[in-house]
Amino acid sequence: MPVLEPIIELGRGLFTTLRSMFEKPVTVQYPEERKPVKPRFRGRHVLKRYENGLEKCIGCALCAAACPADAIFVESSENSDEKRFSPGERYASTYEINMLRCIYCGFCEDACPTEAIVLGDQYELSFTDRKQAIYPKDMLLEAVAASQLLTPQKTEPGKFTRSVPEMKDPQD
Amino acid sequence: MAKMVSLTIDGRPVSVSEGTLIVNAAKTIGIDVPVFCYHPKMEPVGMCRQCLVEVGRPAIDRATGQPVIENGQPKINFGPKLETACTTPVSEGMVVLSQSDKARASQKEILEFLLTSHPLDCPVCDKGGECPLQNLTMEHASPQSRFLFDEKHHAEKRVPLGDKIWLDRERCIQCARCIRFQEQVAGEPVLAFYQRGRSTDIITSSEPPFDSIFSGNTTDICPVGALTTADFRFGARPWEMKAAASICSLCPVGCNVTFNTRREAKSRARTGTTTAGGKVVIKRAMPRQNEQVNEIWICDRGRFEWHYVEREDRLEKPLVKKNGKLEKVSWKVAIEEIGNKVKGNKEEVVVLASGRLSNEDLFNLKQLADGLGGEALLYDSLPGGELTTKYGVSAGTNIGDMGAGTTILVAASDLYHEAPIWHLRVKQAAERGATLIIVNSEATRLDKYAKHLVRCEKGEAAKKVRELGAAVKDAKNLVIFFGADGSSALAEACAELVKSRAGKPNNGLVGVWPRANDQGALELGFKPAQDLQAVFEKASVVYIVGADPIGDGAIKTQNVKRKPFIIVQELFLTETAKLADVLLPAQAFTERDGSYTSGERRVQRFYPAVPALGETKADYAITALIAAELGIEVEGRSAGLVMDKLAAAVPAFADITYGKLAETTEQWPIIGRADLYYGGTSYQNSQGLGVPLGRENKKAEEGSL
Amino acid sequence: MTKFEPVLTRNTRYPDSEKIATYLAHGGYETARSAVKMQPDAIIEMVKRSGLRGRGGAGFPAGVKWGFMPTDAPQKIVAVNTDEGEPGTFKDREIVERDPHSVIEGVIIAAYAVGANRAYVYIRGEFFLGVKRWIKAIADAYEQGCLGKNIFGSGFDLDMSVHRGAGAYICGEETAMIESLEGKRGSPRLKPPYPAQIGLFGLPTLVHNIETLACIPHIVGRGPEWFAGIGTAESKGPKIFSVSGHVNQPGNYELPLGISLREIIYEYAGGMRGGRALKAVIPGGASTPMLTASQVDVPMAFETLKAAGSELGTGAIVVMDETTCMVEAACRLSKFFAHESCGRCTPCRVGSVRLYEILERIRRGKGQKDDIEFILEIARGIDGNTFCPMGAALVNPARSAIQHFRDEFEYHIANQRCPVSGKPN
Repeated sequence: MPVLEPIIELGRGLFTTLRSMFEKPVTVQYPEERKPVKPRFRGRHVLKRYENGLEKCIGCALCAAACPADAIFVESSENSDEKRFSPGERYASTYEINMLRCIYCGFCEDACPTEAIVLGDQYELSFTDRKQAIYPKDMLLEAVAASQLLTPQKTEPGKFTRSVPEMKDPQD
Repeated sequence: MAKMVSLTIDGRPVSVSEGTLIVNAAKTIGIDVPVFCYHPKMEPVGMCRQCLVEVGRPAIDRATGQPVIENGQPKINFGPKLETACTTPVSEGMVVLSQSDKARASQKEILEFLLTSHPLDCPVCDKGGECPLQNLTMEHASPQSRFLFDEKHHAEKRVPLGDKIWLDRERCIQCARCIRFQEQVAGEPVLAFYQRGRSTDIITSSEPPFDSIFSGNTTDICPVGALTTADFRFGARPWEMKAAASICSLCPVGCNVTFNTRREAKSRARTGTTTAGGKVVIKRAMPRQNEQVNEIWICDRGRFEWHYVEREDRLEKPLVKKNGKLEKVSWKVAIEEIGNKVKGNKEEVVVLASGRLSNEDLFNLKQLADGLGGEALLYDSLPGGELTTKYGVSAGTNIGDMGAGTTILVAASDLYHEAPIWHLRVKQAAERGATLIIVNSEATRLDKYAKHLVRCEKGEAAKKVRELGAAVKDAKNLVIFFGADGSSALAEACAELVKSRAGKPNNGLVGVWPRANDQGALELGFKPAQDLQAVFEKASVVYIVGADPIGDGAIKTQNVKRKPFIIVQELFLTETAKLADVLLPAQAFTERDGSYTSGERRVQRFYPAVPALGETKADYAITALIAAELGIEVEGRSAGLVMDKLAAAVPAFADITYGKLAETTEQWPIIGRADLYYGGTSYQNSQGLGVPLGRENKKAEEGSL
Repeated sequence: MTKFEPVLTRNTRYPDSEKIATYLAHGGYETARSAVKMQPDAIIEMVKRSGLRGRGGAGFPAGVKWGFMPTDAPQKIVAVNTDEGEPGTFKDREIVERDPHSVIEGVIIAAYAVGANRAYVYIRGEFFLGVKRWIKAIADAYEQGCLGKNIFGSGFDLDMSVHRGAGAYICGEETAMIESLEGKRGSPRLKPPYPAQIGLFGLPTLVHNIETLACIPHIVGRGPEWFAGIGTAESKGPKIFSVSGHVNQPGNYELPLGISLREIIYEYAGGMRGGRALKAVIPGGASTPMLTASQVDVPMAFETLKAAGSELGTGAIVVMDETTCMVEAACRLSKFFAHESCGRCTPCRVGSVRLYEILERIRRGKGQKDDIEFILEIARGIDGNTFCPMGAALVNPARSAIQHFRDEFEYHIANQRCPVSGKPN
C-alpha cells in the first residue's frame, strides 16, 4: 500500500497539530505576563539590611576578591555611633557592581561573611550606555521597610560593636 | 669565624654557627617553624609557645664522655617536654622534629588557645590577607572550634594608642613584639603590659601617648591585626594592592620602601576631599628590606608623610606669565618662551637645584648649565658639605656591622629628628659596643647612648671636634655624622679626623643633609649656593628646580633690585613659583623612575608607583626639552639612559647602570615570604639594594665578598 | 608516738619569740658567729652532706644550688623568698612572724658561704605583720652587729633589706620574684641563664625559701649528719606541715619528713572534723595533685609522694571530708590559677581560663558530654608547654580530681546536679 502511506502520515501530522490546539500553551505573554522565578534563581544583586535598617554589608571586599569577573568594587570607611551604616567598625562607602561584567555565578553570595549580598530575582537589566551598567550602592541596597530606619543612623554607643553577626551555630 | 654546629631538622642536615637558635637554623634550609613572639631582630622570649618542637640530643656516656652508639648510629635522647625552637640554641648532633605528631599536636593546641581569645573578625581587619595568625590557622588549626560561643573573650576594639597607631584589644595575642620593639630596637620603652593573665593589655606609658617616631613599625611586626595605623585604617584589603619599590625622599638615609597602590573611586586616602575618580593612588608606604640601609624599619615620617604627592593643588600644566598673570599653555609654547629668553643671555643663566631631585635630574641640569656656560648651584646643603665627596664613607660601610672597635661621632646633628633610621642604627651600634661621641649644643634623644657627651655653644662644634682629635685617633674605625653648625669649619674639622682613613670601609664622613639627594648633587659637581640674594640679582635667567627660596626666606623679594627671568619647575604653586615667568609642572618621585644617592653614598633606584599626573613630566625630561630648544644635547628619553650618560661622565658613578642598581642578594633575616609570622609584613627586597659610591677600593674588596 | 623535738619552731614556744633578745637568749646567732670564721667551701660541703632540699616547692637540693654560684664573681646576692602564695600554705608566715632571726642567721651563713654581701627579702605584700617583723628583726640584727659591716668581727659584710610584693602568686617563682624585686612586672624569666649565673640586677643570685634558710643554722650548728639522720633516704630533716581543711585542729606542725599522712591528720591535727570520713587530701599545696583516702598511709617525703602520683610541694596539707564536692573543689582551685596567671605565655594565660570555664559549667550543671575528655585534653595542651612550672601546677587540681573522682564529674554532667549535696550548684 505505497499510496496510502503518505496520506496516513499526513493525517497523523495534522492530528498532532489539532491536538495541540487544545493543550495549555507553554509560552508566556511577556512582559504582560511574568513567570515566577525558581527559589535559587540568580538574578540581579541586592544588598540586604538588618531588621533595624542597618546595612548588612561591612565593606570587607571579600565579594570582590571572590568575583571571577572582577565586577565588584568596594571601598570602605569607618562607622561611628553618630553616623552608623552597618554594625561594627567598617562599612562600604563605595559599592559598585558592573552588571555587564557580572556572570551571575553567585560566588559573592558564598564569600559574604554577613549574608549581605544576595542574588535576587530581578533579571530585567538593560542599559543604553556602559556607565549605566555600573550599579552603585544606592541602587543595590534593599528598600527600607516601614519599620526600618535609613542609614546612616544615630545609634546607642556600645550596642553595635561587632561587624560579623554572632553565629552561635556555625552550620547556620 | 664562629664554630659550626651540625644538626638535623626534620631529617635534613644543616650546619650553622654556634649559638644559632633552632628556628633560625630551620629557616636557613627553608623549614618554617611557626612563631608569633619570636622576631629575628629581637631577643627571644619564648612567650607564645607556638614554636614547640621535639628536640633530641645525642646521649653521652658519662664514663667516657663520648656519644653512645647504637646500631651504628648515635643514640638520641628526647626530653619529656617539647622545647621552644625560638629560645633553644643548636648543639652538635641535635635532632629536631618540627613536624612530629607530638610537636604538631602542641602547635595545634597553642593555636586553638590563641583563637579562643581572638575575635575572628578577619573580614573587617586590616591585617586580613597578610596575617600570620590567619595563615597559621589555615595551615595548622582544626576547622571547628570546640569552645562555647558565650565564653568568647571580649575586649575593647577601638583604642587609639597614639594619634597614629590604633589598638584592638580583642585581637591582641600578647606576644609583646611591639613592647619589645620599642624597648630593644627603638630604645623608647613607651609601651607596656597592664594587668595580668587573660586581662593582659597593651598600654602606652608615655605622654604624649606612644611617643616614638618608629611607632609604625609595630604594625608591621604585629602578628595579628591588633595594631593598625590610623592612616591606612580600612583603606584597602592587602590583596587588592600592587607593590612598587621606591626610596623614601624625606631624608638622606634613603630608606627602601614599597608603595602599595590601588585604583580608587571615591576615597583618596584621608588627605583630600575630592574623589580619586578611578585613578591609581598610594594607599600606604611599607618598609622594604635593605640590611645595609634601613634593615626592615622605616620611621613614621617615611610611612605617613608621602601624602603631599597626592595633594590637590599639584600643578598639572605648564604656565607662562602673561600680563602679570600665570596662564596655562602647552609644553611647546612654554619651552619656546624659555628658548626665546635664554638664547640671548646664555652666560648669565643660573640653575638652582634642590637636593630632592634625582641624580638623573641633577646631571641633566648640570649638563645644561655647563652647555650654556652658566652656573649650577645646589640650593640646600651643609656648610662644607662638598668634603663628603672626598672623605665620605667608602663602599662596604654598614652601620649594622659596627660595634666594638668603631667610634661614631655625631656632631651638631639631632639624628632622631633629622635622620631617624640613622638614630636607630647608631643607637644599636652603640649598644653593640661602638664608642659613641656626641658633640651638640642641644640635648638629643641619642645622648643617653653616648659614651662621651660634649656640650658646646652653637657654632663651637668645630672647636670641640678638633679638641677630640687625639681621643679618636686610635679608633679602629671612625665614622662621623655632621650637621649644620654655622660655618664650614665643622665639616673641615671632621674631615681632618678621617683624612687618613679615606677609602677604608666603615670610615669617613656622613653628612646629615636636609634633603634626600644633596649627596648626589655634590657628587655631580653642584656648588652649594652661598649668597642667593646676590646670585639672584646678578643673573639674567634663573632656573629654579624643586626649591622655594622665596617661601623659605632665603631671598627677600622686597630687596631684589633687578628681577631676572625666572623659570620654576615645581610640584606646587610655591611662593617662588608665583614669581615665575615660566612655571613647569614636574612629576613627583612616586610617578617616575630615578635614583638617589644617600648620605652613606649609596645610589639607590626608585620606580614609578602611580601614573603621572596630568601633563607633568619628569624633571630630567623637562631639562632635556629646554636643552634641545637651546641646541644642547641632553639625554631625556628615559632615566636609565641618563644614568648611562652620567656613569660615563662622572668617575664616582662609573659602571653604575640601572641593571646593577636593581640587583639583590639574599639578606638575613629572610623575610617577606610565605611565613609572614617570621619577619612581619615588611617587603622582601626584589628590586635592588643599590650600589655604593667610593668604590676605588671596591675592586679589591669584591674578591673577598 | 615519740614526741618530735621541734627544730625550726623550737623558739616559738617562748613569749616574744620574734624579739632578738629572746633569740639571743636561746643560743641565737651563735652558729653564724662561728660559721663566718669557717671556710666557705666547708659550709657548702656541710649543706650538701645534710641532704637539705628546698622547701619552697620544687625540692631542689640546696647544697647543689650553692655549688652553682660562681666563685669568681665580685658581687653576689642572696634573695630570700617569703612570697608565700600557695593556697593551703601558712608555714613561712609563722616563721617570719614568730622567729625571723632564725632566717636571718641562715641568710648570714648562706651569704658567707657563697660570698654574697647583699641580701634581699621579698615578702608577700599581704603579710602586714610579717613585713613589720622582718623590718624590726633586720634593724635589731644591725644593732647587734649581726648584719652590716664586719659581722661578728670577721671582716664579712652583709646588708639586708625587705621588699614587699604586690600580690602575685607567680612571684613565688624565683625568676618572677627577681623581676619583681627589680621593679618590673612579675613574670618569669627565660632559663637558662639560671639565677645562679645571672639573677637579680644581673648578678649571681642564690634564691631560697625562708624555711630552707631556717634549716641552715641547725645544719651548721649541729652537723649535717644530725640533720641527715632525720627523715627518709631522699628527704632529710624536719619540715613544717600546714594542715588545713576538715580536721579538728588545723595548724602548723613541725615533724620529720617521712611521717605518714595518716599520722599527721589523725594524731597531730586531731582527726577529721565531726568524725566524718576522709575523702581526699592535697598533700603539698594547691598546685599538687590530690590523693584519695586510700592513699593516706603515704609517707610525707619527696620520693614517696612522687611515687603516689603527687608531690610534697610546700607541705601544705588540705584535708577534704566526704561532704566535699570534688567538682567544686577543682573548680575553685582552677579559678585561683586562672586569676593568678601572669599572662606571659599562651597555654597558661588562655588555658587556665578555659579550664576554669569548663569546670564552672560542669559545676553549674551545664556540662556537656565530652567535657571530661576536653578538660584532660586542655590539660595536656598546658602541661609541659608553658613557660614556667605553673603550667603543671594549674592543671593538677582538675586532672587529679578527674583521675580519682571521675564518677562525680560524670554524675554532674549526666544529672545536672551534685552527687554530694544532691542539689544543683
